[in-house]
Amino acid sequence: MAGNKGRGRAAYTFNIEAVGFSRGEKLPDVVLKPPPLFPDTDYKPVPLKTGEGEDYVLALKQELRETVKRMPYFVETPEEKQDIERYSKRYVKVYKEEWIPDWRRLPRELMPRKKCKKGPKSKKAKDTGKGTSLTNTADVLKKIEELEKRGDGEKSDEENEEKEGSKEKSKEGDDDEDDNAAEQEEYDEEEQEEENDYINSYFEDGDDFGADSDDNMDEATY
Amino acid sequence: MTQAEIKLCSLLLQEHFGEIVEKIGVHLIRTGSQPLRVIAHDTGTSLDQVKKALCVLIQHNLVIYQVHKRGVVEYEAQCSRVLRMLRYPRYIYTAKTLYSDTGELIVEELLLNGKMAMSAVVKKVADRLTETMEDGKTMDYAEVSNTFVRLADTHFVQRCPLVPATENSDPGPPPPAPTLVINEKDMYLVPKLSLIGKGKRRRSSDEDATGEPKAKRPKHTTDNKEMWPLAYSQSQHSRVNSEFQFTFQTQTSSEIVRTMLRMSEITTSSSAPFTQPLSSNEIFRSLPVGYNISKQVLDQYLTLLADDPLEFVGKSGDSGGGMYVINLHKALGSLATATLESVVQERFGSRCARIFRLVLQKKHLEQKQVEDFAMIPAKEAKDMLYKMLSENFISLQEIPKTPDHAPSRTFYLYTVNILSAARMLLHRCYKSVANLIERRQFETKENKRLLEKSQRVEAIIASMQATGAEEAQLQEIEEMITAPERQQLETLKRNVNKLDACEIQVDETIFLLESYIESTMKRQ
Repeated sequence: MAGNKGRGRAAYTFNIEAVGFSRGEKLPDVVLKPPPLFPDTDYKPVPLKTGEGEDYVLALKQELRETVKRMPYFVETPEEKQDIERYSKRYVKVYKEEWIPDWRRLPRELMPRKKCKKGPKSKKAKDTGKGTSLTNTADVLKKIEELEKRGDGEKSDEENEEKEGSKEKSKEGDDDEDDNAAEQEEYDEEEQEEENDYINSYFEDGDDFGADSDDNMDEATY
Repeated sequence: MTQAEIKLCSLLLQEHFGEIVEKIGVHLIRTGSQPLRVIAHDTGTSLDQVKKALCVLIQHNLVIYQVHKRGVVEYEAQCSRVLRMLRYPRYIYTAKTLYSDTGELIVEELLLNGKMAMSAVVKKVADRLTETMEDGKTMDYAEVSNTFVRLADTHFVQRCPLVPATENSDPGPPPPAPTLVINEKDMYLVPKLSLIGKGKRRRSSDEDATGEPKAKRPKHTTDNKEMWPLAYSQSQHSRVNSEFQFTFQTQTSSEIVRTMLRMSEITTSSSAPFTQPLSSNEIFRSLPVGYNISKQVLDQYLTLLADDPLEFVGKSGDSGGGMYVINLHKALGSLATATLESVVQERFGSRCARIFRLVLQKKHLEQKQVEDFAMIPAKEAKDMLYKMLSENFISLQEIPKTPDHAPSRTFYLYTVNILSAARMLLHRCYKSVANLIERRQFETKENKRLLEKSQRVEAIIASMQATGAEEAQLQEIEEMITAPERQQLETLKRNVNKLDACEIQVDETIFLLESYIESTMKRQ
């Protein structure tokens, strides 16, 4: 560039004195690795505050830490199934209160769902208490008895139709595919299978419903 | 959200709610507002677990939901609320100092459960207190309710938004999520709760109300009350401020300032730059009972405070014997500056601190001027300046002489930008708290076996004592833990206590810096 003193000679564009070292002086070595993980500090840190207040807050903090682990809000990770069930595990389990959220304040999609075998009321069975589900069972059994008087193979179809109808009502952009439905399904089935070992919908017999089931049971026992 | 904040949030959530909730929470913090299916898909957890986690998070006010068009509900996490979880022990302690054990337990129950109905809180706290009292005595429910009302009056607890009561059921399917509304005025209304009798047999009017048909029932009898962390800042403010005052002035002036702060707790929002003006007559009336200073002395103190160069207290008018305000913004600013200065001093030495204070005072200085004013040799001054520059406590301001910004023809001035230095320090604080928590967890995990063993031994001793065992047997059991193991346990306990205490102290700094940054941002 014009005005450059001497061709090819290195010239700084600023006053080198200002930076702190003169020309030709030995510069510090270039650092080729990241800084140490725990660098030495010239000055040690100031000791912590002590006092009654601080001690109390410390105790509060530690107690709080222990307490939150026992609250129902602490969601345990489901452990993988072990090959051998340890005897001691049964006695180490901590008793935790069940927490039922206030469903009026939460979006409906957060409620646990199960595949409905009964009417729409059964959705809330787990949450609103076991009492309602028993009445539902009674209702269903009554319905079944009514239906068996009407027709035979129709029964299971109509039951299915009921299920579909309730399912649609409850869907509304929500999902159906939960895995947790499994555990509630078990519950349902247990409630329904009070008198026999067979799943109701498998049956196609009409009038001899009760008698048939007994007969079948007899056959099955040997 | 910065990486450091996200890491800290993740550690806090894990400690309080377990890994599943932590995974969901951190995912929401990272990615913002999302619907349910997307969360389940992205985190790879089952839908059922996501639902449970969301219920827990919403209960604790860490996640809010919104209904968008077409009925899609989106969930959003609030990072600042998660970070507040670090401060819970401090809240409980403040409640204890102001409202004694009853207040402490109320606040603790609310913090542990997120939100609760007033009747539930009162019942639980009274039962807990009854347990700790001597045999035969029971805690009066009315007393607990009174404390609750006082907490609500001073805005420590706040009512949650309610589901609006619908007279007739909707013709179509009910909405996917309730829209919660809250009237500003109702936020601190306490329901009428007449609890009859004490001990086990009591009835509350609350429970009677649930028997009424839904349409008629006034919704606020089943309200929930939620902890309002901001109210704490007022009381903390008065504490911090008065401590600061006390360092350079007398007890009386700090007491006056504390009174003024207490009076303006409710009327001023936490991020206002000034408190509401208070007349000196009001202040005189509200002074604590034990203080008998005459009105004239109070006036003199107020005038002195108003004239003070630090400008914490300002005079805003003459009616009512003189109207005085506290300049919160200035107070926070000087506290933040003091923190920065102290950090520089502890990290780099007192000479660096001198340079730092010099640059703070003179706003912009050239390198030569720094050397001259600070009376420190050139080489050392340069070294210190560059060290502070590299850590971002000090920044450079370029003032070009020519349009081409040639370095030889530009002034480089050193300056301290308090806001950005405060932000930098806050970020470091978050990092250090995260490190402290991790280290503590590491220490505990290392000695897990030993801890479990000692817990089992303690349980055995306790049960043996309950059944009345002899000294010799107890001795035998205690010897199950050998001396070196005992030593190890002692060391572990000491370390964990130290780390916990560090967390608490860093949290104080975080609170200060956060308040300062918030106050400054509101002003701009």
